[in-house]
Parts: sequence; structure tokens; C-alpha cells
Amino acid sequence: MSARTGVLTEGRELRIVGFLCNWCSYGGADTAGVARFEQPTDLRIIRVPCSGRIDPLFIMRALVSGADGVLVSGCHPRDCHYAEGNYYARRRLELLKQFLPITGIDPQRFEYTWVSASEGARWQDVVTKFTNRIHDLGPAPRMQGGSGYDELCLKQIEEGVKQGAACPCHKERAL
Amino acid sequence: MRIGVFVCHCGSNIAATVDCPSVAEAAKLFPDVVFATDTMYACSEPGQDGIIQAIKEHRLDGCVVASCSPRMHEPTFRRALERAGLNRYMLEMANIREHVSWIGKNKELNTGKATELVRIAAEKLRLNTPLFANQFDVTKRVLVIGGGVAGIQAALDCADAGIQVIMVERETSIGGKMAKLDKTFPTVDCSSCILGPKMVDVAQHPNITLYAASEVEEISGYVGNFDVKVRRKATYVNWASCTGCGLCMEKCPSKKSHDAFNEGVATTTAINIPFPQAIPKKAAINPEFCMKLQKGKCGVCAKVCPTKCIDFEQQDTIVSEKVGAIVAATGYDLFDWTVYGQYGAGRYPDVVTSLQYERMMNASGPTSGHIQRPSDGREPKRVVFIQCVGSRDKSVNRPYCSGFCCMYTAKQAVLTKDHIPDSDSYVFYMDIRSPGKGYDEFTRRAQEQYGVQYVRGRVSMVYPKGDVLVVRGADTLAGTQVEVEADLVVLAVGVEASKGAAHLAEKLRISYDQYGFFMESHPKLKPVETNTAGVYLAGCSQGPKDIPTSVGQGSAAAAKVLTLFAKDKLESDPQVSSVNQNRCVGCLKCTMTCPFGAIKDVKDRAGNTKAEVIETVCQGCGICTVTCPHGAIQLQHFTDNQILAEVNALCQPELEF
Amino acid sequence: MSTLEQLKEQIRKALPDLDVVIGWEQGYDAMHATPLFIREEADIDRLIWSPLCVHSLGTYLTGLTKSSKVQKVGLVVKGCDSRAIVQLTQERMIPRENVTLFGVGCSGCLSHARLEYKVEQGGHYVEDMHAITFNGDKVEVAVDGGVESFDFDTVCLEKCLTCRFPNAIATEHFAGEEVPVAPKREKAPSLEAFEKLPLDERFAFWQDQMRRCVRCYACRNTCPMCVCRDHCISTSRNPHWVSQEASTAENFMFQMIHTMHLAGRCIECGECQRACPVDLPIMLFRRTMVHAVKDTFNYVSGADPEATPPLLTFKAEEDNINERGW
Repeated sequence: MSARTGVLTEGRELRIVGFLCNWCSYGGADTAGVARFEQPTDLRIIRVPCSGRIDPLFIMRALVSGADGVLVSGCHPRDCHYAEGNYYARRRLELLKQFLPITGIDPQRFEYTWVSASEGARWQDVVTKFTNRIHDLGPAPRMQGGSGYDELCLKQIEEGVKQGAACPCHKERAL
Repeated sequence: MRIGVFVCHCGSNIAATVDCPSVAEAAKLFPDVVFATDTMYACSEPGQDGIIQAIKEHRLDGCVVASCSPRMHEPTFRRALERAGLNRYMLEMANIREHVSWIGKNKELNTGKATELVRIAAEKLRLNTPLFANQFDVTKRVLVIGGGVAGIQAALDCADAGIQVIMVERETSIGGKMAKLDKTFPTVDCSSCILGPKMVDVAQHPNITLYAASEVEEISGYVGNFDVKVRRKATYVNWASCTGCGLCMEKCPSKKSHDAFNEGVATTTAINIPFPQAIPKKAAINPEFCMKLQKGKCGVCAKVCPTKCIDFEQQDTIVSEKVGAIVAATGYDLFDWTVYGQYGAGRYPDVVTSLQYERMMNASGPTSGHIQRPSDGREPKRVVFIQCVGSRDKSVNRPYCSGFCCMYTAKQAVLTKDHIPDSDSYVFYMDIRSPGKGYDEFTRRAQEQYGVQYVRGRVSMVYPKGDVLVVRGADTLAGTQVEVEADLVVLAVGVEASKGAAHLAEKLRISYDQYGFFMESHPKLKPVETNTAGVYLAGCSQGPKDIPTSVGQGSAAAAKVLTLFAKDKLESDPQVSSVNQNRCVGCLKCTMTCPFGAIKDVKDRAGNTKAEVIETVCQGCGICTVTCPHGAIQLQHFTDNQILAEVNALCQPELEF
Repeated sequence: MSTLEQLKEQIRKALPDLDVVIGWEQGYDAMHATPLFIREEADIDRLIWSPLCVHSLGTYLTGLTKSSKVQKVGLVVKGCDSRAIVQLTQERMIPRENVTLFGVGCSGCLSHARLEYKVEQGGHYVEDMHAITFNGDKVEVAVDGGVESFDFDTVCLEKCLTCRFPNAIATEHFAGEEVPVAPKREKAPSLEAFEKLPLDERFAFWQDQMRRCVRCYACRNTCPMCVCRDHCISTSRNPHWVSQEASTAENFMFQMIHTMHLAGRCIECGECQRACPVDLPIMLFRRTMVHAVKDTFNYVSGADPEATPPLLTFKAEEDNINERGW
């Protein structure tokens, strides 16, 4: 990694999905581009009209499907092009952020922030910081396998029961 | 669906760091892509013709253009699609310039990223459907916020074109900052002589309604149909009958009121008309200084007023206006110069601001144009001008150049010599910025003809010595320290956005930068437009500007308004929400989160409650789509399925390449 | 007069104006209660009220009130059940004026799962239990000719340990004495235990759990707050959030949709987990969300019919959202 730009120069890309509102943050990313502010390449941006359009479930969908990180950015509070979209977004996204740990998905893999159309340098900073963070965390674990008990799984259970473990469909009852 | 992909080189802007032909080659393998090519300049005439030709030749249903930001050229390519007979919404863009080629140098990574961006654009396009605009009526009236020279110009141009204009001015008179100036550079003609007639025109124009001493309270609606509430602040004078005779001013005993128009150089009366040429020429009471309003005793003005128009009980009133467009021309305010403690700003009476100096030189000012030291009234013989006070100074968070200070400082130095022929003037400057017609010649004249001493360097401090001020600074050209004993120090104070500009921007739903200046839609190509349709900018509200530029922008904003009003009907953006009535369970949560009141409840045939979108009111934010748990209300062109298609294209491992 | 007698009396008086009143009756064995639909006065005699009455009957409401045959519905509700009605009223999902609530105070309901586990641990077969008595803090179960006794707290539903709403709220009628509000735990013990695990173990846990989900949607169908019914986005094509693929990830995604759709709405009745045929501990998700809503917006769902749910409103300056300086 070069210290000056913070751009990753080695290692493979990770899958980072960005959801950006059209009016502020997408514009901010454009501003960063126009100013040639160098950034890591991992991020793929999906443009939406407003951060209020971002369903927390899009973020969940991305994380479940294999994203290593998800970055959301909208207009600063009070500056929403649609007056109130980012206020609703903030509530929804904050709940998701607080909920994530229970699923075992590292909440660090999801961040939301505000970048205005004039803040090209800030956008560079956000992308660099977030990409570096995801690279520090490494590839995200993925939910594996099909539904129900496949053969391998049944064998594991058999072994377990032989060694005195409870059948898995009953073991939570003690909770 | 038959999709065509066009990968733009943008000369070398993209092609230098993205392998465009291989992006096009990869795109050929994407589902539904039947044609893919790279092109030198997609937006050029041959580029657009190539797209149109390909659409016809390959019977394409939709196109992906991988080039610059859609914020730049989406309208261009949409028009190209329409010329080829396709619906404009069958276009998707992949931003491989601002988001790829310009921000990374690794060609391999960039090419992979560009390919994926094309991929998600194609996946979304597969779910796009043609959308058609609705038409709606335009209210051909315009609101101009701010009665400075930019707002006046915009208002007069619109009014002359036959458009009804509502002008709202915060102060009790229009005229703005220009009304305070003595002379204007580089012609040194009298400011009020050229502005005055325009102000009178505003007052007399049959198409202009002027609300002075008023502020915009609330704005709702959308382009073509804004509803504006204007707060008319209490002036305690019934303006309908006030003749502006000024008798009240003569008799008012409270003579120590702050004189905002004179920048605090002098005091005025509690009831006052700010200056003789004021428009409207009406008296208003400053309640802070009025003895009747403060202590309940006095009422002299009410006794002497020949038309009995004083009303101490007056309250603010709210008037509603319907307009189709808005011009924001809120101007500027001076940076708080008192943070420069080293210049004695705010502490030494003989350290004044440039605007205060204008009032001191102005023939209609408190000293009738005689330059006098505020401390002892003596005529100064040596005047020092300090430039860039609150401009180009990161330490006070004002890194930008205020633009016109170099010029007015030269003007003020020249005028000082005119007023006091035996005086000497010194200007401490960083660089002389004079890039206008006749501007540089003017600053040269100041130096060569008027003998103004220009010292290149910053002033480190100003301190009093006897009855003079010592200005200590560096002369970086001579490489020495200099000290000048001055009778008067004038600070060329930088400008910042007008107070309350950010607050107004929120009402207008337009963006503003960190200094409060409003954001234009494009820094070069759309300097007076904003990202909110129907809202335009003029003058210093967008950034520091001199008078000619402000006037030019006023006219430019008027031209944009007239262009808008040239049509009788506007087309609504069809990217609005739409309710699937079969899925809607009538909980109306969407109506609770919609910021625009764009969703109403209706009954279906069976009498069940359903939500329905008012298409012309919907702005297309999509808050409702996220609110609705069963996905019954979908924002067209950004439906759940379209965004999911993009997410899935990015995240599903089997789709990796 | 006992609570049950009072309840019967109230229902008897109100029944002429109601099309149906839903309560509980003895189920297929001594261990179970089952929902009872009272349409005639004679049905009232079958009504029971005991810790076996676990079902949240509000889940029938959104369907029933849409039916043209049913205009006025009566419902017997515990504290937690009544919160579901409050929440549904807030969301305009039921015509509240057509619903008559018969409230009771509740000292906790039986967790069949926990009891059966304990009985099995004692070396018995679950099927051999043939009588149950609730005796203050004790539960006595007749099994295999003997009697096993348990502390009620060890066999009650987990939600009852943290319950702050033992008495039905916002009801038309209330039978019996109010039960003192005395939560035994601040936080559900299962959640407390789970939160001690590091992230990777949590993920591995869900990987293991979600594999078992058979997507029967019992959790959804029994949830009183799941009002989309036929239009649930987990099973629709437009929008198409979850693929038909039977995989752990898709099962997990379905649970995420259920949880996110309950944000600021879940009243912690626990019916989803109780209904799950493969015992997925999905209340961990629900409770976490409930805590997040409480911590962030100081909001408790189903407590005030006049309140606005937190995701349908906002504050320009949020009290508890720390944006972490990004």
C-alpha cells in the first residue's frame, strides 16, 4: 500500500458494494473523479435517487450473497434533495448497524456516511478508509450449503450422538 | 431483450487506463447482449449516430453506454435513443470515467471494474420498461429572493418579458450591497446613479410585486407549481399609507439606533428610512431601539405622522404566493473580521472595513463624503489598506479568494487621493487579481497615476502609537520588514454567504457548500441552474462575484426562467412511484413517510382502502418503496427488482469472471 | 369470583353484539390448550384460562376482520397479546372499533419445549405426561404414575421472565386482579449467553441453524405482526428478494426479511420461535432488534396506540445516533 494515497497496490480485490444517492454522494464521487483523486478500485457503486430509497435489506442481500463490505452514502442531514430521505435512511441504517452483530456478520463490514457533491476529497478519504478496513477484515465468511441435512451433515450428527451429544433439533431447548 | 453496449474511450480520458475493446468484448457474453462495441467519443455526433445506427441495424431494445457520469450525459444519450425510436428509459449508463479511469491507474483492475459496471448496468436494463411522461400546467410567475443588483436584474428582465414577479427582500429597502457603495470600478461611476433607476423600475413595474422587510417562510411544491409562504415582518408602520415624508425620523428621540445601512459608521433613529433613495421609501421601526415598544413610553412618531400610519400593535403576517420558478439571489455578507485580533479589528476605532469606508466616502453617507477618522473626526493623511482579510486564509477556514477586493481596494485608494489630494495610500497585498475588462489597467493607474504604494506582503500586526496606528508587515519583494504609521486602516474584508443562506437552501432543497454558497448544477455548463428543477441562482449567493458578473447572472437566471415558461405544459418525470393495487393492503404507511404528500388513499371497487400516487407531485425519492413492507409501491426505474438485479450481478459468485 | 368466571360473565354479556369471541379451550390432551371460537352461549363453558393458554390470538384478526361474514370480533388477551392489538391499531391494520378485547393479567405461560426437555431429562417419555397443575411457583406434572415438580421459572416461556406487560392494556374489559409488574430478568438469558460468543462463533452457529430451516413459514404465519400474508416479499416474484433455491443463505435471508420488517413493530410474543418445527432460536434476532429500537429511539412497540412507530418518523437531531465520525 502506498502511504501517500492509501491505495492498495497488492493483493486481490474484495467485493465492496456502494449505494449512493444521486444528488450528493454520487456527485461527490464524480467530483473526486474530476479532480483525479486516486482511490482503491474494489468499490462498485449502485446509484439510487436518495438514501431514503436504500432498503436495509439491499445491504443484507449483498452481505448474504457474498459482498465483503457495503458502503452507503447520502446527503448530509438537512441537505437531502428530497428534504427528508436521509433522515429516514439514518434510522433504518442505524438499526441495521446495531442488529448485524447478532448474526455474526461483522458490523464493520457495513458503514453509512454523508458526502456532499462538493466533497470530492472527503469521498476519496471515505472510500480509501473503508476499503482498507475491509481488506484488514479480509474476505467475509459465507453461508454455505443447501437446506436440511445433507449426507455429510447427517454423518456428523450420527457421530455426535454416538459420543453422547443431543440431537441438534433438541439442543436449543435447554436455552 | 436485445441489448447493445457502447464503451466510450473519451479520447484518452478512459482509454488510457481502461482497455475499452476488451470491456466491449466481455460484454458480448452477458445475457441479452447482442451487440457490443467501443467508440472514440460516444457523445460526439458520429458517436451518437453510431448508437442510432446500431439500434436500427441490430434491432436493439435498449442500450448500455459506458462512458462518463450519468449526471453529465444521461440526457444526451436518452435523446439519442429517442431519435432512434426507443423509449428514453431504455438507457443505462456505466460510469467508467469519473468512477474508474480517473481514480485509478492500474489498467487491469480498471478494466475488470469497468466490465463489472457494464455488467450491472446491463442486468438493470434487462428489467427496465418504457416510461412515459405526464404533462402538467406551469404557473408563469417567478419568485426572486433578494433585492440586490442580481435579483433586481433578474426581476426586471422577467417582468419586461411579461412575467409576474414576486420579489422578497429581507431589509426594508432593495438595493443590496451595491446601494451602499460610493463609486464602482473600473469606471469610477457613481453606484447609486446606475442602480437607482433600476430600483425605481422595480417599484414602478406593473409586473413586479415587492415584499420588502419580508422573508421566505416555507416553500412546497415542485417546478412549475411552487407554493411559497412569505413572512412580512412587522415594521410598525402601515406602508399602505406611509408617504416616506421622513417627519417621524426628524422627531424620533431615540437617535442612537444601530444604522445597518451605514455599517454602523453612524447612528440613526429608531424609526427610519435607511437611505434617501430607498425603495420602497417607507419608514420602519427598529423595535430594539424604539422607546414605545421597549418601555411603552414615547409614541412621538405616531403623533407627528401626517397620515397616521404608525401601528405599534402590528404583527408579522404571512402571505401565500404561487410561482412556477424561483431565483435565489441572496447575495453575500462580510466575513467576521474581528477574528483578526492582530489587526485590532473591532478594538481600534480607526480600523474600519471596506464597506464602512464606502459609507465614509459616499456623498450621501453620514459624513456627506468627507473622509474622517471615526476616533477624532480628523481627516486622515495616510491610509493603509490591508487585503485578504478573511480571503485566501486557511487559518480562518476561508481558503477561497473573494474575487473583487483587489479591485475595490484600488478604487478606494484612488478615491482617497481624489478626496484628500495630499494623502498617501498604502496597500498590503498577496497578489493583485484583476482579470476583467479594463481591470488591470485600473490597478496600474492607481499605482502609476495616483501614486498608491503597493506593498507585497502580509501584515503581522497593527498597534496604536499616540493617535496613529502602526502597521507592521513584510515586504516580500524587498525582503524587509516595513512599518507604516497610518491615520486610518481599511480592511478588505472577504465575503461569505449571506446569513441564513444555508437555512434557505434547505427550504429550497438545493445544495450548498461548506461556506454556505449555493451549489450550481454544473460548475461550467450550468452555472445558474441548481439540481432542483425550477430553482435558479444569481449573484453572490453562488460565490463571490463583482457587479458586472452578478448582473450577467441575473439576466442568465431570467433567461432560464423564460425558457422554462416558454412552454405551456411541462412534462413530469415518469420516474415516480406506482402502486400495485393488488399487493397494497391499505395500511397507508407510505403516506406517513412521503415528504411531498404525493400519496393519497382511495377506495377500490370492493371498498378496500388503497394507496395511490399523485404523479405530478411525486418527486421520485423512493422513501415509500422502502416503507412498504410488501413491496406494493415501487419507484419506477429504481424498483426493488432492478436494484436487486444490480446487487445480484455484483455479489453472486457464479457470475464472477 | 375467579378470573375465569369473571371472564365468562363478561363474554356472556357481550356475546349478543359480537359475531365471534376467540379464547382458549382444553386441547387434545391435558398438557395443551387450543384456540376456541365462541359463537354461541353454550361455547362459553368450554373456555379455560391457565398458563397453557400460550397462543397469541391476535394473529387471527387481520384475516377475520376482512371476512364479510364477520363484523365484530371479541378476543381474550394477555398482556403480550394486547400489545399486538395496540400495534395493529397503530398501523391501521384492523378496524379497532369492531374489536372487543377481554383482558386478563398473566403470571406467565408454560414453555412446552422446556418442560418436555426436563421431563425427558428425568428419564420419562413426554407422551406419558397425563396431568399438569400450576401451584403458585411450582408446576406439578403427573407422569408414569408419579408426580414431578418443577419451579415455574424453569419451565415458563422465556419471554415471561422479562415481561413488563403482564396485564392486558387498552382493553374494553378486564377480568380478575392485575398482576404486579415484576420482570425477573433484564435481558433474556439466551440472548445474554449468545452475546458472549465472538462474531465468528455466532456466524458458525447460524450457519448450522439456518441449514435446518425448511421454510414452512410457520414463523411468519403465526406472527401477529406479519400482515402482508399473500403478499409477503419472501415468496413473491415481484419484488423477488429471495430465490427459490433451497440453501442456507436463502433461508437466512428470509429470516433477515422477517426481522427487518419487525423493526420497531415486534412485540416479543415469541410465537415465531414457538411455532418453529425445527426449533430455530429466531427470538435472538427479534430481541436484538427490540433492544436496538429501545436503545436508539427509546421506543417500545405496542405500548401506546397513539405513538408513531420509529421508522415512520424521524428527528432532525437524533438523540442516540452516534455517526461514528465518518
